[in-house]
Amino acid sequence: MFMIPPSEDHTLIRWIDGEMNETERKAFEESLKSDTALAKEAKDLRALSSSLRAHLPAEMTVPHADFFNSQIGVRIAQMDLDQVRTDSTEATWMSLIRWMRQPWFATAGAAALAILGFIFFRPSGDVAAQSMILSSYTPDTRIQARAFHDDGAGATVLLLDGLDAIPADKKISGIDVRRSEMEPEVASMTLYDANESQVLMISRDGLGTPLISPRG
Amino acid sequence: MPASAATDLGEVPDLDLVKRSQAGDTRAFDVLVTRYRGRIYAMTYHLIQNEAEAWDLAQEAFIKAWRALPNFKLDAGFYTWLYRIAHNVSYDWLRKKKIQGDGEFDDERTEHRVAAGAEATPKGDVAPDTALRNSELGQRIQAAIAKLSPEHRQVIILREVEGLAYEEIAALVPCSLGTVMSRLFYARKKLQEQLQDVYDTTL
Repeated sequence: MFMIPPSEDHTLIRWIDGEMNETERKAFEESLKSDTALAKEAKDLRALSSSLRAHLPAEMTVPHADFFNSQIGVRIAQMDLDQVRTDSTEATWMSLIRWMRQPWFATAGAAALAILGFIFFRPSGDVAAQSMILSSYTPDTRIQARAFHDDGAGATVLLLDGLDAIPADKKISGIDVRRSEMEPEVASMTLYDANESQVLMISRDGLGTPLISPRG
Repeated sequence: MPASAATDLGEVPDLDLVKRSQAGDTRAFDVLVTRYRGRIYAMTYHLIQNEAEAWDLAQEAFIKAWRALPNFKLDAGFYTWLYRIAHNVSYDWLRKKKIQGDGEFDDERTEHRVAAGAEATPKGDVAPDTALRNSELGQRIQAAIAKLSPEHRQVIILREVEGLAYEEIAALVPCSLGTVMSRLFYARKKLQEQLQDVYDTTL
């Protein structure tokens, strides 16, 4: 006797999921009356389907929902900053290339090139002026974050009121942070000192709790 | 993004928020995030079965959506478009992790929070909730879902949670209609096997 494999006999599944037209549905329900095994199978699968819908909610409360949003905001702002920097760099080089293609450029000679080189490759001066505070959000409402920048000292101080004291073995005081890199993919920020050494990495765990990994 | 954005723009239709987001208005996008984060997170959670990973993947989906917004056609539904992105992000992750159907299940993973007002009651048929408390049955179901293969878990979530029609599932996965039905069949049979004691007791 030839039997259709269950994987190819989609009648029952289509009935459970309401994917039959009216004619098909009536015919199938008629067959259920005479086939007790099929009727039990249909009843069991329908009960399973109901349970799944009941216990797999289509909407759930997002843990740390405010932090969820603020992190997205930070990453978008960081992407925008990166894009601005990329565009700026590309525009600078395109401008230089266009200039070099001018007929008179060859006559300007090496002296002009040296001047251009100085202009384009000199170190950027005020690092702090290029920085911006993206957010002072703290996931724990008992903690207040404030930032102060001092041009004279060339430093920004972050005050986190309400945090427990940092353990003595976390040697993060006195570090001269010169630049930072953010990795949006892993939502972490790495701080570097004047020697380009990593001094601190700030990230978070799966629940959004900040993790600090100081050097040493 | 300021939390007040949600209260200012909360009643604005998706389409207007999308237009403003496309123009670079992050406050408008923040409202869209607030509006759909619960649904997107639920989908990633059901697929991944891990709260922390689901949280990250839901966030990744919104970031990808922001990047892709310039290409979004305004004649399409924003949530459908967003859902597709979130689904692809989650399913890619699932495939990379190669979570197997016979993998061990961590009971702690099942702890989840149902949003206030979320639909969480059976429609129509009698569920076997009389023998087990809802929470216990919920944990059993989550455990059974976690043991499904990524392909089977995917179609079950798309059908039972999102209520997508076969054609919509086939387009999203993508695969043929026959494959959708076969996977649904086998996924349900596997769930039935794992929950057999529950149903034997109550039916």
